[in-house]
Amino acid sequence: MTGDDTAPSEPDVRPRRWRVARRRLLIGAGATVGSLLVGVPIALEYGRPSLARWMLERGTGPAEVPESSLVWFELTGDGITVHVPKIEMGQGIHTALAQVAAEELRVRPEQLAVVQADTARGFPAATLFTFGSTSVASLYTPIREAAAAVREMLAIEAARQLNVEPPELTAAEGAFQVAGTDRVLAYVDVIAAHQGPWQEPGERPALRPAGEFTSIGRSAPRVDFRAKVLGEATYGYDARLPGMGYGAFAVPPRFGARLESAEPGDVAGMPGVLQVVIDVEAGFAGVVADTRTRAWAAARALRTTWSEGTRVDTGALEQQVTAGDGVVLRRDGSIRDALSRGRIVQAEYRTPMAAHAHLEPLAALAAVEPGPDGTIELWVPTQSPESVLEDVRAALGEEREVVVHVTQLGGSFGRKGGQHLAVEAARLSAATGRPVHVGWTRDTDLRQAFYRPPTHTKMRGSVGPDGMIRGVEQVSAAGDIIWAVAGLPEPVRSLIGFDPGGLLGLFLPYDLPAYRLVNRREQLPVPTGPWRGLGLMPNTFALESFFDELAEAAGTDPLTYRLAHLRESGEQGERLRTVLRTAAQMAGWHESLPAGRGRGIACSGDARTVVAVVAEVDLSGGRLRVTGVDVAVDCGLVVNPAGAKLQAQGSVVMGLSSALREELRIQDGQVVSDNFDSYPILAMADTPPVRVTFVGGGEVPYGMGEPVVGPVPAAVANAVRAAGGPRLRSLPLRL
Amino acid sequence: MRLLINGRHHDVEHGDEPLLWVLRDELGLTGTRYGCGVGICGCCTVLLAGRPTRSCQITAAEVGERSVVTLEGLAERGPDGQVVALHPVQQAFVETPLQCGWCLPGHVLTAVALLARDPDPDEATIAEAASPNLCRCGGYNTIKAAVARAAELAREA
Repeated sequence: MTGDDTAPSEPDVRPRRWRVARRRLLIGAGATVGSLLVGVPIALEYGRPSLARWMLERGTGPAEVPESSLVWFELTGDGITVHVPKIEMGQGIHTALAQVAAEELRVRPEQLAVVQADTARGFPAATLFTFGSTSVASLYTPIREAAAAVREMLAIEAARQLNVEPPELTAAEGAFQVAGTDRVLAYVDVIAAHQGPWQEPGERPALRPAGEFTSIGRSAPRVDFRAKVLGEATYGYDARLPGMGYGAFAVPPRFGARLESAEPGDVAGMPGVLQVVIDVEAGFAGVVADTRTRAWAAARALRTTWSEGTRVDTGALEQQVTAGDGVVLRRDGSIRDALSRGRIVQAEYRTPMAAHAHLEPLAALAAVEPGPDGTIELWVPTQSPESVLEDVRAALGEEREVVVHVTQLGGSFGRKGGQHLAVEAARLSAATGRPVHVGWTRDTDLRQAFYRPPTHTKMRGSVGPDGMIRGVEQVSAAGDIIWAVAGLPEPVRSLIGFDPGGLLGLFLPYDLPAYRLVNRREQLPVPTGPWRGLGLMPNTFALESFFDELAEAAGTDPLTYRLAHLRESGEQGERLRTVLRTAAQMAGWHESLPAGRGRGIACSGDARTVVAVVAEVDLSGGRLRVTGVDVAVDCGLVVNPAGAKLQAQGSVVMGLSSALREELRIQDGQVVSDNFDSYPILAMADTPPVRVTFVGGGEVPYGMGEPVVGPVPAAVANAVRAAGGPRLRSLPLRL
Repeated sequence: MRLLINGRHHDVEHGDEPLLWVLRDELGLTGTRYGCGVGICGCCTVLLAGRPTRSCQITAAEVGERSVVTLEGLAERGPDGQVVALHPVQQAFVETPLQCGWCLPGHVLTAVALLARDPDPDEATIAEAASPNLCRCGGYNTIKAAVARAAELAREA
């Protein structure tokens, strides 16, 4: 017996038509009687569905509103629902966005339902690629404007129903009150009693001044966590439909290997096997069975042959990523002159490949209607529903109607943006005429993924007689990130020469009389791609480690040295100085420590947020232990301090995990780090207290999903040196 | 064969399968999660006769007559199955949430077992009990705080 807690299809509430009202507002006549839908498009920068196009057209692209990037409010007699186009994978964004909407609607956040917009409700591509720590930052103002408009429309209608003028109404906690009376009318009653068209607000509805916020800026309980603690939340691996079969498929033994032949062998007779599905031309050989473990066993038993693929190993990959030639991205002052005098310091840094290792492996559920034109309905844990839609159409028919429901995601960290099992699930469903769920084993999930690419950075700098830096030359190479997942032809990528994702964290933020920066991308024979923060953490590891080496050569305290080199860099420099001072103060930077212990500091900026981290380590007994981490973050306005703190602490733990543990090994063209024994991630026993302080404030929020991961490994490496240990220049850090 | 799960008997067909998949796929109790399949990550934790147990490492047949408690079986429920009250550990994790939540079975059920034998654990005891369970979102500081809060809530109850 199979549970059936995934509704096969939600009722269609798509408005029959949308009409563009004043001020970009879209008003939809709902399919449900008495309902109102109000939508607002998202700024172009965030609305472009494809990251590649966004990268290419940024700054030069047309300013038209994207056709399908919307947040919208659905009002019915049951209450108010906010459909948000950004995906919840644990960041807490749905909670933060509920707070933002609640503020302008004058309701409590819990009086709203926040749901994931999907392609079944609203627009053909109602969801947006969730990436780059942009969700709250990009939706903050559109949601406020839309919510304020909704409130005003309700007020106009409420005034009509109460036979008063709208200015006589005050709104609070989801109801209007007539000034000076005890007459109260709840929003839901306004909606229920409404007839005819809604009247739009005549002017731009006022937004609440920051000083009067009651919801934004306060910690709010997570909207999704009650269901999660009850075991009721539906993640991708949990999605199910009545009559569902379990799918599995053969995977290549080595990267780059292509399916050459496939035979069912004895698989059709194995217990529980319902069907074998082979399409060599499509590179596919799979099975559907009545249980998951039977499907896995049957897929392993398929007789397949594969082309050679690559036999590369980790050493060869790292060799290929060797800094040297590349694109000159910065040339300030005369580096030749700077490096011809003074005290010369040089060092090389490496970071290894790493896996995302989200605890929920990839999974997808597909229900394909029979016939070549049958609708395809999918439930997928994905950061990028649009790519699911495109991939499934490309594989099963461009004319098909495809509906993508986004489930809860059990972690992602970039992985579930470019990779999903929707195509395979859909193939199996189409072939068997029943819904099929495909879920990967942990070892397949780690072996068939894309990975954080390796990096190599050569640094050379000169310290003058005054102790200040004369100049820095930075030459680096990294495997592809964006180019590995974006559909640009290789000649174009080669022409550009660097990977846009590799730019994150690539630029030294300090005042330097001379600075030369050369970077090169490498296309590797194994899949690489976006990992939390893209280039941010690997680059920051090299830059901020090297900065400490310069400070050491100058004989200056690393904090003092940083502050001294951030005097002329304007607002960004000032913000960095503030977070550096704050983190140092939190950690008691100037207090002495016993022998064998030390503190290290590092900073970086990303998604307009700046972060400083102080790590404290203990090397006693010849073992590296991190005993505490202090973090100061300026991420602009903090919508939900509790949620932002979780993001910061989680980023620190992920950074520590990379600093101390993670190293993806490849042998003979295949990943050998294929479970948590061979690919250990940081556990609680090795996690120190992580203290977080937010500084800065401001009018709008900046990114919070990735920035804090940046400085963590460098801070630890710097602490090791400060504790009297060696200068460690590659991750993971080993004494 | 029959299993006693969350206080109710269930007939199950695939006794030779790991308990994890019987719970998830035969019985639809998807609150018990697959994470690694080799007993490391803790996402598949259930209480087996009160002890935190990796359900990927034991077949349904091996469970025999011992009681199984999953995430779904912790809350107090009315006759209609509706939740009347969350378990103190669940309540603590609502007040002090993690991020994605996939690892919750390991952390919640381990804490339930810990508090059953030690209603007032110190931080080291909490950490020792919780350490075998992974959390990739990195909520380890929060997990310790949530378990301490759960102990408080349980004592108040």
